[in-house]
Amino acid sequence: MKTCIACGMPMKKESDFAMGDTSKAYCIYCAKEDGSMQSFEEKKQSLVNFTIKTQGLDKAVAEKAVENMMRQLPAWKAFF
Amino acid sequence: MKTKRQIQKEATRKLILDTAYQVYASEGFSATTNQIARAANLSHGTIFVHFPTVENLIICLLERFGLEINAQFHLLAEKDESLETFLAAHISVLIRYEDFYKRLISEINVLPQEAKYVFINIQSVVSFHLNQVIERDQEKETIKEIPMHIVFNSWLGLIHYYLTNSYLFAAGSVLTDHKDELILNYIKLIRK
Ligand SMILES: [Zn+2]
Repeated sequence: MKTCIACGMPMKKESDFAMGDTSKAYCIYCAKEDGSMQSFEEKKQSLVNFTIKTQGLDKAVAEKAVENMMRQLPAWKAFF
Repeated sequence: MKTKRQIQKEATRKLILDTAYQVYASEGFSATTNQIARAANLSHGTIFVHFPTVENLIICLLERFGLEINAQFHLLAEKDESLETFLAAHISVLIRYEDFYKRLISEINVLPQEAKYVFINIQSVVSFHLNQVIERDQEKETIKEIPMHIVFNSWLGLIHYYLTNSYLFAAGSVLTDHKDELILNYIKLIRK
């Protein structure tokens, strides 16, 4: 099974892929409206906001945790 | 192609991580590398060939643990599942790692900073899926209006309390004994 290169989520079904296109390496949550992959800053911001919203973390902690996670993903290797 | 030497090296690394997992699960993270070496039948020096420091060993172990447990959360979670099914899936994954997870949540505050980030990212996968389920139920107005992080932290707080104080509630696996009760009543608390 493919795993999203930008967030690490396994893509089980067609609908998990960006634009429902199984040849894409990233998931529906990592795609912009036009289907292209979000930029590093966009993805980082959305993950930080999401972590704060769903876990209530302090902003600085959320940023560190998100960076730590992104560092391990193939899409963002060049940023670390 | 991997050389025989590389294959051997990877096997030893895996053995160290597997053994560290077992030792930390039963003794806690204050267990020494000497204990791990003995349990793995390796010389103490071999551990440091693969992991230069104890912190490095713990972080590599937690990263591997995080990948494994996250893959299972992702696989078990379905977009259209009920809240009950999702919470049961969360507990069923935790039961597989119960002793280790219990140590992890009890001792996270004294573990290296990087370990805490790995821990947050383990919880992020759970909060991601729970959020999908809760948002859908909030649209159907079957859930009280509670901020998402309070919904999530209350659930985590509940199961972590039972885990870290398991001696109060069960002789064996506290999650196995109490999962139905915890799920049922947690849902009563947040459902309209
Ligand atoms: Zn993604």
